[in-house]
Amino acid sequence: MDTAKRRLDTLDPKQAFAFSQAALQDYQECRRRFQLRYLLQAAWPAPQAEPVREHERQIRRGERFHRLAQQALLGVPLDRLDAVAAADSDEHLAQWWQNFTRLLPELQGEQRYVETLLSAPLGRHRLVAKYDLLVLSPGPKLVIYDWKTGLKRPRRAWLEKRSQTRVYPYLAVKAAAGLRSGLSLLPQQVEMIYWFAAHPGQPEKILYTPEQYEKDERDLLGLVHEIDSLSSNQFDMTIEERACQYCVYRSYCARGAAAGSLTESDEEFEPEGEITIDFDQIAEISF
Amino acid sequence: MNWTRPQRAILDLPSGSRAFVTGPAGSGKTTATTQHLLDLLSSGVPGASILLLVPQRTLASSYQAALRTPGAAAGGQVDILTLGGLARRMVDLFWPLIAHDAGFAHPVLPPTFLTLETAQYYMAHLVRPYLDQGFFESVSIDRNRLYSQLLDNLNKAAIVGFPHTEIGERLKSAWSGESSHLRVYDDVQTCASEFRRYCLENNLLDFSLQVELFRERLWPSLLCRAYLQNTYRHLIVDNLEEDTPVTHDILSEWLPEFDSALMIYDEDAGYRSYLGADPSSGLGLRDLCTDEISFTEPLVIPPTLEGLGARLGQVLDQVQTLPPGLPDGLEALDYPPEPIRFFPQMLDWVVDRVAQLIDEGVPPGEIAILAPVLPDALRFSLTNRLDERGIPYRSHRPSRALSDEPAARCLLSLAELAHPQWNRSPSKVEITYALLQTIAGLDLTRAHLLTEICCRMREGRLVLEPFGRLRPDAQSRITFSIGERYEMLRSWIEAYVADPEAELDYFFSRLFGEVLSQPGFGFHSDLDAGQVAANLVESAQKFRWAIETRAEPMGQSLGQEYIEMVRDGVIAAQYMGNWQPPAADAVFIAPAYTFLMNNRAVDHQFWLDASSNAWFERLYQPLTHPYVLSRAWTPGRIWTAADEFEANRAVLYRLILGLLRRCRVGVHLGLSDLNEGGYEQRGLLLKAFYQVQLAAGKDQANG
Repeated sequence: MDTAKRRLDTLDPKQAFAFSQAALQDYQECRRRFQLRYLLQAAWPAPQAEPVREHERQIRRGERFHRLAQQALLGVPLDRLDAVAAADSDEHLAQWWQNFTRLLPELQGEQRYVETLLSAPLGRHRLVAKYDLLVLSPGPKLVIYDWKTGLKRPRRAWLEKRSQTRVYPYLAVKAAAGLRSGLSLLPQQVEMIYWFAAHPGQPEKILYTPEQYEKDERDLLGLVHEIDSLSSNQFDMTIEERACQYCVYRSYCARGAAAGSLTESDEEFEPEGEITIDFDQIAEISF
Repeated sequence: MNWTRPQRAILDLPSGSRAFVTGPAGSGKTTATTQHLLDLLSSGVPGASILLLVPQRTLASSYQAALRTPGAAAGGQVDILTLGGLARRMVDLFWPLIAHDAGFAHPVLPPTFLTLETAQYYMAHLVRPYLDQGFFESVSIDRNRLYSQLLDNLNKAAIVGFPHTEIGERLKSAWSGESSHLRVYDDVQTCASEFRRYCLENNLLDFSLQVELFRERLWPSLLCRAYLQNTYRHLIVDNLEEDTPVTHDILSEWLPEFDSALMIYDEDAGYRSYLGADPSSGLGLRDLCTDEISFTEPLVIPPTLEGLGARLGQVLDQVQTLPPGLPDGLEALDYPPEPIRFFPQMLDWVVDRVAQLIDEGVPPGEIAILAPVLPDALRFSLTNRLDERGIPYRSHRPSRALSDEPAARCLLSLAELAHPQWNRSPSKVEITYALLQTIAGLDLTRAHLLTEICCRMREGRLVLEPFGRLRPDAQSRITFSIGERYEMLRSWIEAYVADPEAELDYFFSRLFGEVLSQPGFGFHSDLDAGQVAANLVESAQKFRWAIETRAEPMGQSLGQEYIEMVRDGVIAAQYMGNWQPPAADAVFIAPAYTFLMNNRAVDHQFWLDASSNAWFERLYQPLTHPYVLSRAWTPGRIWTAADEFEANRAVLYRLILGLLRRCRVGVHLGLSDLNEGGYEQRGLLLKAFYQVQLAAGKDQANG
């Protein structure tokens, strides 16, 4: 039999797995989705939300905003970026860019790390995260910025429950040496700020604490231990069937046909495959 | 772990060193370098400050695996890139800095990065009018190969580092055949220049333009250079010999800036020369290094196979003198005891031997079946035989036509059916196969019957009739359960026709999600079909993104344009699998070069079709030339038959050595008098083996 068609449906006992916040969020929302997306690596090209065109527009707009922010933070002259934003066909982007340029002076520190990946061991696996911006100031103090590009501003309670809010500060403490050799941070020296491009005056600031760090460590280790212990038939579907409307695997799980409405969703949709090693376009060998 | 002396030398490198490591494949260079990488991380070097550069992603797999282990220290992520990947990333990031000066017509608009297939689409779009004018008249070649060779020329100019405007002249100056062919090279130049002009006018970036922009605009730019130098402080390069001259040029300027550098160079390799690999310019970097470490002792290849390789090298005129006491290696060589006449019999012998080895306790994963090329028919014949014996296998081909996949063909046929305005009705056979794929449990007989009864031409187009209109006896023959699902598909298409999408990828996505992958349909819980559908959606989406920014109006919709390009073989002809199967204990079936680029050793190798010329002959490429467009070539020199012969022998020797150095026990030669097409062949590889055998026989007689 062709073993290229055989896929692992549990964590590989011989190989470490790289857990991202998105993978952990998926697991917590629906074990089956985690199994399909990360273990079986099932590509399932059903629409995620309707209208499909607006959904795509939202994702691409978010990507372009992130790119502009990255360029600005790396020192590309602002007048060039002003022209790029003004020429964009999406009416939101120029406004978001203006909002961002007003934030820029606040984003100063001893050192800035833009679109940075950090990773650390987590049990027998690894925890990975990609940060939009990390600003390190004397003290030391580290501020984690995450740009949110949805049109709606989520509530604090909703944000606090997200895996991202748990994983990002925890990993920043754990992997601080990855930023600068010898750097170590205490949890209380880390702050996370969600900045909303469409609501620039209402950022959400979350201070990290030693107690939260300890709890996060316990929770994260417990979670991966739990996933490690599951057999293939224990990756159950969620009982919250409403979530299936926004899951591409709903047809696989016989949980409906049409995608849910974009306007009724709390989610900010981001491109899939949040953390990938970027090989881009390579002239592959073609023998 | 017991490290060898040169491995120890890598691990003990003082900080701040720039080391150049040479040695044959299979001598432990990558193993030690992987440990060096982990040691760097453990010593507190931030992972994000390490750049690991490889010429091709498969060559980074051992590093990736090591970085995934919990043993790798916490910190930033090591960047694993190819030069192409780095170029694209930099162009994307610093586009606003360079777009205007580089001559792009719309510098404030974002660039469109072309994939291989969208570049081919644009090339086809530009070249078609020239074909009507008689361009390339004397060349007999598939259109999509014509387009890809034109793009290949541009890529070669970029990675070798000469202006694209010199392509035609370089090719002409080396030509020694009929003078009438020279006009073809003028045509090549016209198309290359036209393509580049069009890209600049429309913000399109093919691979060649990305590399050129990086080399000429970004690498010299202070901001980009500062970004790269601040970001990456430590460099590791593996398989330097497989990389391109421009990569080597950039590394030679960049090298002094790193806090440490370690570069690995495989001797006797350079398998990617068709893609611009230049071992000699890679070797030039040695002079810029502070330390040199030489690996000489092979850890994989046994003395017998080493002897065999040297003797084959001698008969191919690549090795001048043999070291004394070298075994002839013939005992490590296995071939059919009796001559085999026909190709299928040879495959039987191969599978018998594989089964025998497994019975003797060889793990399947320690066996590789290699062929110079692996067409579908050969793959099928082999895997069928392995299936019959219950032998696990995995096969890998770097490219496979997406449009040949049954799931993709089904979606394409249904797209034609749902877009009557395209005037491209699928044939009844295509409908039959689409229904077969779509409706779970439908067999070929009933699919055929359903098509015959339900497909009607109406107003010049094919339509599906409602199941309810069938006569009751036909309904019961087809069964109501199947009829119900047929009706779901039909009514979905009917509703779509009344209110169609402008975007073909949305159509594919909806059809997949709302019908084909629902319970009772053929794609439901079929992950492989899902993967093919996802690739098709992605291909159509990337096509749309690349085309929708085009300035001039098109005569037809994007979807129709896409379908026509697919049917013409211009796009969806490549399939880059984005899902990597887990490593399994299974026999590996692959083209020989693919095996080399996976860079792993096995105990046993089977070399199929050993008499084939495909082991050493280069592909028919009338519009390009890998040697003439290489940096080593002296412009103005004529490429002669003697050059071709010599190049073939050198290529074959490198391939033989590369394979043998990745073999621990023995080589099994698949030989038959007639090849797959029924023709007799006596290629160089076979002749070389005969000569080695003959010489060994003489030695024995003399001894």
